[in-house]
Amino acid sequence: MWKSLFAFRGRAAPSVEITLGVVSAVGLVAIWEFAARAGLVASTFLPSPSQVLLAIWQMLTTQNLAWHAAVSTGRVWMAFLLAAAMAIPIGILMSSYRFIGAALEPIIDFIRYLPVPALVPLSIIWFGVGDETKIFLLWLGTFFQLVLMVADDMRRVPHEYVEIAFTLGAGQRQVLTDVAFRAMGPTLVDNLRITLGWCWTYLIIAEIVAADSGLGFVIWSARRFVKTPEVLGGVVVIGLIGLVTDQVLRALHKRLFRYL
Amino acid sequence: MPGDYLEFNKVTKSFGDVPVVRETSLQVARNSFLVFVGPSGCGKTTLMRMVGGLETPSSGDIRLEGKPVGKPDRRRGMVFQSYSSFPWLSVAGNIAFGMRYRNDIDNAEKARRVERYLKLVGLEDFADHYPNRISGGMRQRVAIARTLAAGSDVLLMDEPFGALDALTRERLQVELRLVHARERKTIIFVTHDVEEAVFLADRIIVFSKRPAKVEADIDVTASLGSERSLDVRESEPFFRMRNDILHLIRKETGTDH
Repeated sequence: MWKSLFAFRGRAAPSVEITLGVVSAVGLVAIWEFAARAGLVASTFLPSPSQVLLAIWQMLTTQNLAWHAAVSTGRVWMAFLLAAAMAIPIGILMSSYRFIGAALEPIIDFIRYLPVPALVPLSIIWFGVGDETKIFLLWLGTFFQLVLMVADDMRRVPHEYVEIAFTLGAGQRQVLTDVAFRAMGPTLVDNLRITLGWCWTYLIIAEIVAADSGLGFVIWSARRFVKTPEVLGGVVVIGLIGLVTDQVLRALHKRLFRYL
Repeated sequence: MPGDYLEFNKVTKSFGDVPVVRETSLQVARNSFLVFVGPSGCGKTTLMRMVGGLETPSSGDIRLEGKPVGKPDRRRGMVFQSYSSFPWLSVAGNIAFGMRYRNDIDNAEKARRVERYLKLVGLEDFADHYPNRISGGMRQRVAIARTLAAGSDVLLMDEPFGALDALTRERLQVELRLVHARERKTIIFVTHDVEEAVFLADRIIVFSKRPAKVEADIDVTASLGSERSLDVRESEPFFRMRNDILHLIRKETGTDH
C-alpha cells in the first residue's frame, strides 16, 4: 500500500493521499510554530502560527475583519462577473467568425501584456479613488486573459460535432448554442475558476492604493505599524477564501458535467 | 451498375493549388452499399464529404434524385470515426438529437423512433448511459442510430470502425449489413481496410492516389451475393477479390514488389 507511493507513476488510494496532505500541512505548521517559539526567528519577521490565529481572532472581534473580507469578496466578484459576462460572448464570437477574431486579436494581445500595476495611476485619473478604480483594475487583469481563453476553448470544440449538427438540419445559431456552447462547457468553467483566482491576486494591488476598506487595505495598514501577525492574518484569510471558493466551483463543475 | 439516384457529374476538387479529386463521374443506385477504398490521403473522403455538402466541388456537380446537393441537411447524414456522438447527451438523448430540428413529427413520434432505433442497434439497456461510459463500438452504434432516426436517406460513413478492435469491428460490420438490409438506405462508406470493403460493399470504387481518380469499379454482389455472414470472409471469391484490390492499391502507391 505504501510502496506504490514511491514507484514511478505509481498509484495511491485516495485515503492515503488525503492523509499525506494533512500530515505535510500540519507538519509544516508544527515546524513553523516550533521555530518561532524556540526563538530561531524574530517574531517581527515570522510570528508563530498561534500568534497569527490570535491576530485573526482580534481582527475579527475588534477591527471588522469580516466586513473587510466581504468588501473584498464583493469587489472580486463584481469585476469577475463583469469580465466573464463580456469575455464569454466576445471570445465565442472571436473564434466563430474570423472577421471579429482578426479585428480584435491584435488589440487584446497588446493590452494583455500591459502590467496591471502600471495602469494604477491612469485608473485613478479616470475613476478616482473609489470602488470603480478597484473594479476596473481587477477587470483589466482578467478580461483580456479570459477572452483569449474562451476563444481557445471554442476553437477546440471538435469540428465533427459542428458538422454532425449541420447534417442534422441545425442552423448556424443552433450549432452555436446547442452544440458548440455545450461542448466547451467543461473547459469554460475550468478557465473561469482559474481567472477568479487571478482576480484575488490583483485585488491586493488595487486595494493598496488609496483604499480605506478591504483585505488589501488591512494588510497594508498593518504593515505600516509592523504588526506582522496581522499582515500574515490577512494573507491567511485570503488564502482560506480562495480555497473555499475553489472547492465550491470544483463541486459545481462535477455536478454540471456529470457525463465526463 | 445502372441507377441515377445519386450522380457524380465530372466532379473535381482542389484545395488552393492542390488537386485532390480528378474528374470523377459515378452513378449510384438507390439503396446500394457503396464503399470507397484507396491509399490514405487520396481524396476519397473529400469526395464523400462533397455528397454531404461539407465541401463543394471545384467543378462539376453531385445530384441527388436529379437535384444538385447544396448545403448539408438531414437527408444526408454523417457518421465519423471519432467524436461521433455528443458526450453531454445520453445514448437516448443522442438519438433524439437526430430529430431535434424536425417540426414535422410530434414528440410522441420522436419518442417512438428513439425506442425503435435503440432496439435496432441493440442499445435498449444503455438508453440512459453517457457516451463516455460505453465502449467505442457502442458509441458508433449510437451515431448510426442517430442518423437513421434523423430520417437520412444517404448515410455517409467516414472510416466509422477505424478506431475499434478487430472483433468489435467485425461484429459491427455484420450488424451494419443487417441494418442496411432492413432500413433500405443508400450508404457511402469510406475505408482503407480492403477486407472491410469487400465484406460490406455491394460495389467498391477503388481510387488512385491523390488526386483521386476511379481506378476500378467492382460489383461485389455479383460474386459474393448480398447475404454476408462471417463465413463469406473465408470463401475463395472473397480472398480473390481482396487480393485483386490490394494489388491495385499497391501498384498505385508503388509498393508492389
